[in-house]
Amino acid sequence: MKFQTSLFHYIVFLSAALAGGSWVLAGEIKAEQYEHARWHPMHFEPAIDQATDEQCLSCHREILDRKVLDQSPAGVKASEALAWYQTLNTYEGPQETFHRRHLVTPLAKNLMDMKCTTCHQGNNPREEAPIPPDVAMTDFTLRKMVDPETCLMCHGRNPYERMGLPGPWAESRETFQNNCLLCHAGIRTNRHRVNYLKAEAIEELGTKDADICYGCHGGRQWYRIAYPYPRHAWQGMGEEVPEWAKDRPTESQPRFRITQEQASK
Amino acid sequence: MSETIEKAKIKEAVKRRKLETYTPVKPEVQLGFVHNNVDCIGCRACEIACKDKNGLAPGPRFRRVQYIEGGTYPNVYVYKVNMSCNHCAEPACLPTCPTGAIFKRKQDGIVDIDSTLCIGCRRCEAACPFGAPQFDPVDNLVKKCNLCVDEIEAGRKPYCVMACMMRVLDIGPIEEIWDAELETPAIGPEEKVVRQVKNMANIELTKPSIGFVPHSKGRVK
Repeated sequence: MKFQTSLFHYIVFLSAALAGGSWVLAGEIKAEQYEHARWHPMHFEPAIDQATDEQCLSCHREILDRKVLDQSPAGVKASEALAWYQTLNTYEGPQETFHRRHLVTPLAKNLMDMKCTTCHQGNNPREEAPIPPDVAMTDFTLRKMVDPETCLMCHGRNPYERMGLPGPWAESRETFQNNCLLCHAGIRTNRHRVNYLKAEAIEELGTKDADICYGCHGGRQWYRIAYPYPRHAWQGMGEEVPEWAKDRPTESQPRFRITQEQASK
Repeated sequence: MSETIEKAKIKEAVKRRKLETYTPVKPEVQLGFVHNNVDCIGCRACEIACKDKNGLAPGPRFRRVQYIEGGTYPNVYVYKVNMSCNHCAEPACLPTCPTGAIFKRKQDGIVDIDSTLCIGCRRCEAACPFGAPQFDPVDNLVKKCNLCVDEIEAGRKPYCVMACMMRVLDIGPIEEIWDAELETPAIGPEEKVVRQVKNMANIELTKPSIGFVPHSKGRVK
């Protein structure tokens, strides 16, 4: 049974893999081209940045179709389960896989504009280090799929000390009327202008509910550090750069800038 | 496990925890792995021993021996970085789990998973900076290294360590490993232990409990 299942997956994957040379979608290639597909330039920089979701999903369709189990083997029902950060107001609907939470659930559709390539910068089949070996490329992570620094942009810690809050947001939110915009109507107003977010929608919802802001700025914390966001100049910004911001970039990474649109969905 | 499901109590706890983030358990002793990147020959016996013990089908690998190759002739190099779960001081997988299947043990800091509670949402897999949680497509559950907690309880070492023919892999209290004070064949007399090597995710993300004897080309800075 196990063998049959894995063989089935294998055949599905093979039949869905890519042919070399030009952009070819799934269904057009033969089984022996499996290795060819794995090493296709599309899976590597710089071609990966031009890959469209349609091209990625033509083989990797299952990431949108997969559902969580209704209940765990021991009988924990998915409908009754709740993670730490799912106590935020922004969480709604049944338990979903993380791919669906980033691409197709209502919050993802309303506030985000993520593409496969926003997170995935190619998958090295050898998984360990850049191929061909390149001593200059030292930022390839051993983790295979996604550089966690990308996750950190929305899953980092809330840097309340840096903002001058008296304590963590959970403690000091009342002091600030549970309203981020009490200060941020005038500070760091040039924000969220990256090609994987919908800036206007975020700003609009942020005025209604600070949980929306906190969601990505501490509430969904995976990691123990905060992301050092680029310090885009804003109107009324002080001329002096504070000590902590001296090493900060003033522009987003090129691949996240709106001027350099990612390939359309 | 509690015999009654006290839903009201759970709802109360959820309300209380709203906007709070997870506070990691501070273990009495934190166990961790040490790996000698230079002397490891990459035979993957540890991987196989691990798969055997945990009954894993092709696909998921709790332990992953990673080959790093580089350079230009005649100055070429190769070394291995060997990781399973790093039993982080501040694990990222734990707060992402909606069912509480992942937990950190107080007595030794082992981050364990009870896969019978897993609903296969794969969030932990996404959150881990080191690729420790492994998805098993056969039963749609996530599983991972638990440092062979049953062996630890019995006063023995994990299967991977016992299988290592080069004796480059070992476990111990992580502070002793970082100070190179642990008595182990994995650390040579003059060797220093580092917490991070090249190509490895930033350790400040989760503070992984692992030490390496690095290759000169794998040293960070």
